[in-house]
This record gives sequence, structure tokens and C-alpha cells, in this order.
Amino acid sequence: MNKDSTLNKLESMLESFLEVVVAQNEEKIEVQGAISRLDDIAHGIQEGNDLTADMGEWFARHNHWLGTELLKKEERSRIDEIFKEIRRELRVSEDSSPAIGKIASEIDRWQNVSRQGGHKVVLKRGPEIAPLPRTSEDLDVTVGLFQNQMERLGSLFASAAGRKQHLLSVLDDTLNSASIQKNKDALILSALIIYCLKQSGYLVKPYIERLREAEELQKGAPSRA
Amino acid sequence: MLSPSEKAYYFALQSLKEKRYSLASDYFDRAAPEFSQEREFILLRETIRLLVAVKRELQSGSDNSRLDLEEVFTNG
Repeated sequence: MNKDSTLNKLESMLESFLEVVVAQNEEKIEVQGAISRLDDIAHGIQEGNDLTADMGEWFARHNHWLGTELLKKEERSRIDEIFKEIRRELRVSEDSSPAIGKIASEIDRWQNVSRQGGHKVVLKRGPEIAPLPRTSEDLDVTVGLFQNQMERLGSLFASAAGRKQHLLSVLDDTLNSASIQKNKDALILSALIIYCLKQSGYLVKPYIERLREAEELQKGAPSRA
Repeated sequence: MLSPSEKAYYFALQSLKEKRYSLASDYFDRAAPEFSQEREFILLRETIRLLVAVKRELQSGSDNSRLDLEEVFTNG
């Protein structure tokens, strides 16, 4: 085997090895690219450039990472650090444009999700009072009761939603109904809406606190369904 | 914010992905101040250095592949 042939083989082996390394680090490279881009945007904002469109594009491309396990702890920390710098430069006020307000709230959302980490929201209910179904007839009654409740929840939601644009407004109404009117169905519907919002990456802690307060109020008074 | 070494490391990996090995090697050199103690970094950097050297050798070898022929006339 001559020298060139050996070198060609070596070249091929080294390239194959590097291709495997790149393939195994595809996600890492993508994340680092996003962090690098965010860093560029932060520098641009610090220099006084209007990069709200770039920021919006960054969120559009990477918001789906929220609520996933893609980002490692140190990567999330780097993103948080850069967000802090950007947030400091944004100086949101009443005169700020809607775009800046939106970017500030998106940054806050990322940082809130980061702070929550891997904590799960557990909505606890009291122990079962009714006995477990022993016969198929019992099971049918339980299913039937639940079906009725689902229908009532559906009607209640339609009534609360009305012409409202956002689910948060509906939640506000159902929580008020659960607290003030001691409406049990409103309490359950509120819990369901909170869980849906949580799954979509919304900050729900204040609403969980209100739900708990409503639950406590209902425990102390006869409930309405 | 990212340090120059961190930026360089990202560009090194990006260049590697694009198979721009000579450029990747340069970026790895720039990233070295911060990452030269990391095993994965060392492995990648040295592998790319070797690959670049092999490519250079192959390139110079092909330049020397021409044979210069010289006719020698003997008496008679």
C-alpha cells in the first residue's frame, strides 16, 4: 500500500468519525446556535438597535422548547442570563410599544418556567366518600353521574366563555363563581382550565392559590353544584 | 453574555457540521483558552488538526505527482 492510499484511508476514517460526532451532537449544536443568536441580539439591543423583530423571530423558533427536556440546566442558565440583560435594556413603560411589552412578557414567561423547573402541579382532592362500585350497575351509575357532570361543565363553560377572547378571562369568572357563589362545578371547571393552561406553559401559580382559597371557602359552607 | 471562547466553540461546531475543517480548526484554536481541559474538546480539536494535516499532505502530494522527463543522448 503506497503513501497516498494510506492517507486517503486515514482521511476517510477521520471524516466518518467527525460525521458521527456531529450527528450525535445535532441538538447541542442547535441549542448553542440559538444561544449565540440570542447573545448577538442582546449585544445589538445594548448598542441601541431596534431588534424587536429579531427577538420575536427567536421566540417563534424556540418557544416550543419550553416545557420540554431539551435544554440542559447550564444551557437554561445561559439563556436566563442573557434574558436578564435584555430585560434590563427594554425598560418597559406605559409608552412602550406593544411589541416591546410582548417581548418583555415572553421573557418573563421563560424565566418563570425556568424557576419552576421540574415541579409538577398536583391538584389534590379529598378522599372518596362514596364506596367503590362493586357491581356493574354501580359502575354504570358512577359513569352516568360523571357524564352528567361533564355536561354541566360544558354548559357552564359555554356560559362563562360568552364572547371572551382569552381563556384567562373565563378562568377569572369561574374562580369568582367558585369563591363567591360556592359553585362546585365552577371549582372543578377552574381546576381543569388551570391544568390546560399549565400544559401550554402559562404561569398558573396565582390561579392555583385562588383555587385553593375557593376550595377552602366551599369546605366551610354548603356547596352548590 | 457569551465569552469569545464560547462563541468560537459554537462556530467551530457549526463549521464542523458544514465540513469546513480548516475553518473549524481555526475556531477550535480560538476556543482553546476556555475549553482546552475538556476531553471532548481536546479529542475534536486534535482529530480536526490531523484531518487538516492529512488533507494538506494529500494536496501537496498531488502537486508533486508530475514526472519531469529529461532525454539524455549518449555518444553514438
